[in-house]
Amino acid sequence: MRILIVEDDPDLARQLGDALKDTGYAVDIANDGEEGHFLGDTEPYDAVVLDLGLPIIDGISILQKWRADGKKFPVLILTARDQWSEKVSGFDAGADDYLTKPFHTEELLARLRALVRRAAGHTTDTIDIGDLMVDNRSARAFVDGAPIKLTSHEFRLLSYMAMHVGRVISRTELVEHIYDQDFDRDSNTIEVFVGRLRRKIGVERIETVRGLGYRLLDPSGDEAPGEEEE
Amino acid sequence: MKQQTEGYSLVWGLVRRAAYWAVPALLITALSLIWFYRASTYRIFDDPLVNTIQALIASVETNNNDGADKPIRLTREPIDDRYQLALSGRYWLIGEIADNGEVGTIMESRSLYGATIRLPAQAANQIKNNPGDVVRSTSRGPDNEPLRLAAQSVIFPGETETPVVIIAAADSRPAAKAVQNFSVIALGLMSILALGQALAIFMQVRIGLRPVFKLRRQVADVREGRSKEVEGVYPTEIQPLADELNTLINHNKEVVDYAQTHVGNLAHALKTPLAVLRNEADAKKSKLSGIVGRQSEIMSNQVDHHLRRARAAARGQSIGVKTSINETLTSLSRTVERIYREKDLDIQLNMDDDFEFRGEKRDLEEMAGNLLDNACKWTKAKVYVSVDIPEDDEAFVRIIVDDDGPGIHPDKYADVIKRGERLDEATPGSGFGLSIVNDLARAYKGSLSLDTSPMGGLRTILTIPSIVEAS
Repeated sequence: MRILIVEDDPDLARQLGDALKDTGYAVDIANDGEEGHFLGDTEPYDAVVLDLGLPIIDGISILQKWRADGKKFPVLILTARDQWSEKVSGFDAGADDYLTKPFHTEELLARLRALVRRAAGHTTDTIDIGDLMVDNRSARAFVDGAPIKLTSHEFRLLSYMAMHVGRVISRTELVEHIYDQDFDRDSNTIEVFVGRLRRKIGVERIETVRGLGYRLLDPSGDEAPGEEEE
Repeated sequence: MKQQTEGYSLVWGLVRRAAYWAVPALLITALSLIWFYRASTYRIFDDPLVNTIQALIASVETNNNDGADKPIRLTREPIDDRYQLALSGRYWLIGEIADNGEVGTIMESRSLYGATIRLPAQAANQIKNNPGDVVRSTSRGPDNEPLRLAAQSVIFPGETETPVVIIAAADSRPAAKAVQNFSVIALGLMSILALGQALAIFMQVRIGLRPVFKLRRQVADVREGRSKEVEGVYPTEIQPLADELNTLINHNKEVVDYAQTHVGNLAHALKTPLAVLRNEADAKKSKLSGIVGRQSEIMSNQVDHHLRRARAAARGQSIGVKTSINETLTSLSRTVERIYREKDLDIQLNMDDDFEFRGEKRDLEEMAGNLLDNACKWTKAKVYVSVDIPEDDEAFVRIIVDDDGPGIHPDKYADVIKRGERLDEATPGSGFGLSIVNDLARAYKGSLSLDTSPMGGLRTILTIPSIVEAS
């Protein structure tokens, strides 16, 4: 899962970034409106945390531009503006949630998790795939109830594949959703991570579809949940 | 503040100042007229007396020692019948003035009936000293009536040693009466003129000041929110005042907006650093982080508290603003539906008319938003919103929000509404929103009351001023 944080206060942006990375997200940070708008326009984020009072372009304008360009990623507005008139204009511009500063990091994480899983069509923070359980709240995975030791990159890979269980996911898509923009993107490293992950959760769970990508198999055989349409 | 001075009426001031010069001017005019009329009346009155003297002089003949008892005789008496009629008010007399001023009668008109005419001492001297000149004077007649008289002393050459005085007199009462009548009429007319002038000035000023009264009503309309600015066309002398008032109203709005914006900016600028402090304190458990956490919590509550107070202080001053309740509730319900998307709520709005709130849109959004948010937070599935005009007071409009949640025990209604006043007890998510609504409603002279909803949960009733439709 890859998150964009658009926040002009560098300390707050760093704090949020650290908290999100700790819970298994790849994070990009933009410190002004122009950079934020550009990143959201060009990278496929799974969710965006957007401040409203930003240098160069304000948050509401960025949001309106994204929505006008057909960007559908969930957006959480994180702002000091706590009046209802501002909430209304935020939601009318296309926001999915609204949190006012100061806030508790836990609450932000919970709301962001809800936005991401709802966008992927899940109703809970934990995803059960047979005896494999991915807990997005604590950024941990269990097989038969036993925790598995995963690096943060491995967890991101698993989490993304679990969100889209049963669907073939291309390497490019994986690269785009589990690495932040500063990471040296060599698609070969995906193969390395998939290999390590297979060893930890069981080789048979991840299928390689030649020329297309990878698929996390659901032993129960249920249909993959469709992308939520909104 | 300008020092309070004793009020005075422009109308009465103008009338009074006009009177200061008008009354003396009119009085002088009246007195002059009376004086001229009087002079002219007496001149005309005196003319026949002089004629009589001349007629008498012309007809006097001397009796040259021919044994007559009188030294002179008349060839012809003046023809006016009134000289024959006793005490008629017309008299003539020919006599000699003694050294003591007494007039010794030689001849007289029959009308004198044997009486004489006394000359005032001064007149007697004047006659004696100026023979040939007509002297005018006054005296009393045989009937004690006031007389005007003309007298001339004549020396008939060679015939008498002593000069003879010829006096013609007439009752002056008719002339005095005419002068008196004229005086009354003149003064009366001048008084009427003065009153008329005063009335004219009064009317003139009232009519002239009409645009000022209109301007006053317009300003009242602006203050009471019936109009946005002073409207209408005014005379060129008043128009600049109306324009200045509009500039002042706009300036006031700008100052309020400016102050509010800057208080808001300060508060919001503080919130991000507070968020950083709190998050940092949350992340690391230590003695320091505990203090930082608690203090940043207090600071953030203080910021909220004072931000709200600043907004409330700026509130009463926003003038001439109205907001559509229907549009605001529609967009708010759309917003809370998104906020509580997970609950999949059924929010119904029941507005059977176009309602308007007399106040700022953001304040209505703040009040209605908090009510809706509170209802959505606690309700199980349904929120029902209705708007109506209370029967007993049509200057207000009610927004009623019902939910089917757990509700609040009636004993706690007052606590929930008053929570904002006790900052230390306020914790986020504990119904703090309702106290904000209450504060705001009161700033608009409205109210918030709580009740048990027929749907089972809480009913909140927000009463706020509406624009009264002129129907």
